[in-house]
Amino acid sequence: MPGYKLYYFNVRGRGELSRLILHYAGVPFDDFRFEGKDWPAFKSKMPFGQVPVLEVDGEKMLAQSHTIARYLARQHGLAGQNDWEQSQADMYVDCIYDLHGAMRTPTWETDPVKQKELFDKVNQDTIQPHLEKVEQHLVKNGGGHLVGQGLTWADIAYYAYFTTPIMTRLGGEVLTKAPHLKKLIETVGNNPNIQKYVETRPVTSG
Amino acid sequence: MVHYKLIYFNLRGRGELARLVLHHQEVAFEDFRFEREEWPKYKAGTPFGQVPVLEVDGKPLAQSNAIARYLARQHGLAGQNEWEQSQADMYVDCIYDLISGTRPIIYETDKEKQKEILQKFLKETVNPHLEKLEQQLIKNGTGFLVGKSITWADLAYYSFFSPMTERFGDSVIDNSPHLKKLVEHVANIPQIKKYVETRPKTTL
Repeated sequence: MPGYKLYYFNVRGRGELSRLILHYAGVPFDDFRFEGKDWPAFKSKMPFGQVPVLEVDGEKMLAQSHTIARYLARQHGLAGQNDWEQSQADMYVDCIYDLHGAMRTPTWETDPVKQKELFDKVNQDTIQPHLEKVEQHLVKNGGGHLVGQGLTWADIAYYAYFTTPIMTRLGGEVLTKAPHLKKLIETVGNNPNIQKYVETRPVTSG
Repeated sequence: MVHYKLIYFNLRGRGELARLVLHHQEVAFEDFRFEREEWPKYKAGTPFGQVPVLEVDGKPLAQSNAIARYLARQHGLAGQNEWEQSQADMYVDCIYDLISGTRPIIYETDKEKQKEILQKFLKETVNPHLEKLEQQLIKNGTGFLVGKSITWADLAYYSFFSPMTERFGDSVIDNSPHLKKLVEHVANIPQIKKYVETRPKTTL
């Protein structure tokens, strides 16, 4: 079993997908988190001065949140059953990457009134149109999962995005018109390994 | 023989990497391009209301990097093993972030403001990245980003930095000799050169 060390801030953010994949797959790893003030000490050691970074067997480093998550998904049977399914999963996770980007401004807004405004706008302009399409694809695919007939990291990525602190706080209605996705997210959340991790992970603002 | 149809605007933009992968590997494909005004006609037929979309024997795949990665993997341009494939993925993700960073610049109409945003982007985002990139290129030691031979990651860096230097000057990569050499190398690959000479001339 390779030794994994995941370097990231003590937040969920762009590190959480990899953590969820490893917990789901029951793979032990060093969940190395540091506070903002400690970042300068680590920054220069990282391949591109950014985190998350996955260190494998204490020697090789991999950067970029979705590259790390894809690598872990592939190593641990969560990437899809064939090349085409793997691409479909990649596609969905890329959609989530874009949704993350859209949610950045609301997430960092400190004024609660302005934050709600910004959140609602992102939801209306970006998330709802996307969910309309995702629902169609889920229905067409059948079986409840985004890709193929089993869980992939794409399902975990949607779970992670729609259970972020800001989504939990302000997004009560976001999945109202997306019952299939809502069910999928609940299914992922009910997985015993995910549940155990979520109950014990540090409580963070993002 | 699989039939590929790549659907995108008549622009380079986020469609160009897939085109470069296919041209480099000399794989035939339908390079379906439409003008901006025609977009409403095609939007509803796409998986997420966006392009590029790749149809593989009629089955759609969306998201520019998912498409380019699929094609790179199918046609031997993704890396020699799983670790190399991830390294290539990592570099392409870096380029994706840089592309996103150029959007405020491209869409700024005020010339002075555009210059300001560009300088800020170069100073705060591009240059720090290039510093690290040069170290990685030197460390890898083959002239390529990953392993001993060309991958779609090299094409991605060419695809981003070639238009950047065309548009904003050579100074963009003046301090990155290894990247400069790589970009020149890709530009001079016969299949790439031929495609670039004959492709539609577009602003983006």
